[in-house]
Amino acid sequence: MLTAILGYLSFPFISDAAMGVLMLVLFLVFLMLGFPIAFTLMAMGLGFGYYAMGPNIFQLFVQRTYSVMANDVLLSIPLFLFMGYVVERANILDRLYRSIQLAMGWLPGSLAVATLATCALFATATGIVGAVVTLMGLLAFPAMLRAGYDTRLAAGVVCAGGCLGILIPPSVMLILYGATAGVSVVKLYAAAFFPGIMLAGLYMLYVIVLAMVRPQVAPRLPPEQRSASIAKIVWELATSFFPLALLILGVLGAIMFGLATPAEAAAIGALGAVMLALAYRNFSFAKLQESVFLTARASAMVCWLFVGSAVFSAVFAYLGGQKVVEDFVLALKLSPTGFLVMTQAIIFLLGWPLEWTEIIIIFLPIFLPLLDDFGVDPIFFGVLVALNLQTSFLSPPVAMAPFYLKGVAPKQVTIDEIFNGVYPFLAIVMFSMALFYIFPGIGLWLPNYLYGPK
Amino acid sequence: MTAGTAQGALGVGKFKFDSDLIGQLFIIGLAAGTALAIGYFVVAVVRGGFLRAVDETSTFIGKFFAWSIVLLTLAISYEVFCRYVLGAPTDWAFDLSYMLYGTLFMMAGAYTLARNGHVRGDFVYRSWAPRRQARMDLALYVLFFFPGIIALIYSGWDYFKLAWLLNEKSSASPNGPVIWPFKAVIPITGVFMLLQGIAESIRCVQCIRTGEWPQRQHDVEEMEKLILEQAQQAKGEKA
Repeated sequence: MLTAILGYLSFPFISDAAMGVLMLVLFLVFLMLGFPIAFTLMAMGLGFGYYAMGPNIFQLFVQRTYSVMANDVLLSIPLFLFMGYVVERANILDRLYRSIQLAMGWLPGSLAVATLATCALFATATGIVGAVVTLMGLLAFPAMLRAGYDTRLAAGVVCAGGCLGILIPPSVMLILYGATAGVSVVKLYAAAFFPGIMLAGLYMLYVIVLAMVRPQVAPRLPPEQRSASIAKIVWELATSFFPLALLILGVLGAIMFGLATPAEAAAIGALGAVMLALAYRNFSFAKLQESVFLTARASAMVCWLFVGSAVFSAVFAYLGGQKVVEDFVLALKLSPTGFLVMTQAIIFLLGWPLEWTEIIIIFLPIFLPLLDDFGVDPIFFGVLVALNLQTSFLSPPVAMAPFYLKGVAPKQVTIDEIFNGVYPFLAIVMFSMALFYIFPGIGLWLPNYLYGPK
Repeated sequence: MTAGTAQGALGVGKFKFDSDLIGQLFIIGLAAGTALAIGYFVVAVVRGGFLRAVDETSTFIGKFFAWSIVLLTLAISYEVFCRYVLGAPTDWAFDLSYMLYGTLFMMAGAYTLARNGHVRGDFVYRSWAPRRQARMDLALYVLFFFPGIIALIYSGWDYFKLAWLLNEKSSASPNGPVIWPFKAVIPITGVFMLLQGIAESIRCVQCIRTGEWPQRQHDVEEMEKLILEQAQQAKGEKA
């Protein structure tokens, strides 16, 4: 009976390409069963691979696994994670927030602007969204509520600000994209730098304009809280803001000016982070240990996903499933703009149920070979994706940031209020994507200037 | 300082830090970690039963090799120092760096599994009752996990054996260190993953019986998880 079924399955009228499509469809079904995705991918790659190439699949499987283990791009991931955990565990967030808040006291909506600036810097250094949102949810969110800020605005600011860290380089997300797409991480960093700053700037601009038009949602602080002497501001900034900012700029600068590879810069950055934490007298062996263990777990999570996806995508391509998708998209006769809108819309929708790691490692490889057909620059595409994935943290129903904030917020704050506060920021993300599409120079000028047009 | 002394900057007397030594140190580290983990497992089984022993062994081996990140940071920083300050890059740092990175994440695989840390597409799963989650997990451990991991052990062993018989050296750099010890990481990882998978399946069975997920042992947690738990408790006390 079983052999009859198997014989029927391998009957020639089920083409390999059809099996490839079946593989993708089945994966989408299995994905929803909630099993750890790395192993789902691995098993499906092996199963379909055995069907397609027999025992040779085992050799392919171990070679693909080894290629992830010896990958010199992914090598920098644990280093950046380590640096992030050290900064996170060093307890420097509250003094950072205080110093930025003092320096920005004169601005309308100053607390919210300071929150965004703190989030942008701290999230860039740590790259850990959940930590930034919960920490700022405890620190800045109550401070804004006490100052009479609108709950929705305060919530939106914390959620949107906390997610900036995966966009602004040096971010782990861009390394994953670089490894998946086979493009230079250095160029990606250069290209994402200004768009990241632009998005943070647009967030701040929105808050400032809102505070001027409707002061009741973001009242000014009483004068005694916003007038600090220049000397005090400078001192606070010099001791709290600049060391961390210099650390990040140093790491980023070393990468962009070609002084060090991303892995080298990350290693030096991790050492620098440890020294910074020691200088603040906020570091101990216990904290080092925590950072080391968390780094191991987070690296394993990301890299095992790569192992699974490496064998899955190899078999998918071998079966010709990739070609079916390509032919299908080409048959739609889209313009390059139409193609971009479609792919970005799909990524946006995937962001509802999925997290960015899965989208980049598993789903992007399906689109990437198509970029050539439409003449789209993979670096340009990467920055668009990075902007777009901001939304995957913010949009319901599986929006990490709002739910984390809900977890730490005072009881009377409802999840609906938080989502209502997040929507304007989602709109700003879309607006910045449109801006970047119309003026790609915002991002591409810097890599072209530094490394010449390719 | 001449280029000659710079080359062997870490060398003291006859002791020279080069690719051969790196290869040997890697073998020692890998063998030590694996042997300790096996010893740990045997003792833990005798003392505390299978399930607990597996959890603790996975955690032990994951944490042991987690320290690779510190070595990795230091090795790469030393390489940068040699290149810019001494003007003489090392010929071993590159090989060492990917070997440490690969060992780090592979060996942390079972540890991460023991902490339920491998990412799931759980937007539906999350809303299920524990018993239903456990049934689905158990089925997929049998259908997906065990075949995948057994294939990893089987093919990883062949891959390692071939490299070992040839005494294969790294081709990433001239005069590279032996690479077969690094390839041995694949089957070793596979065996520990298999053990942890069995432990996770037992957990599923327990959950199907009682309707509740058994507690996991305490370990360091992500910041957001800690904060959320604290907030939950504080709210509980107020209410």
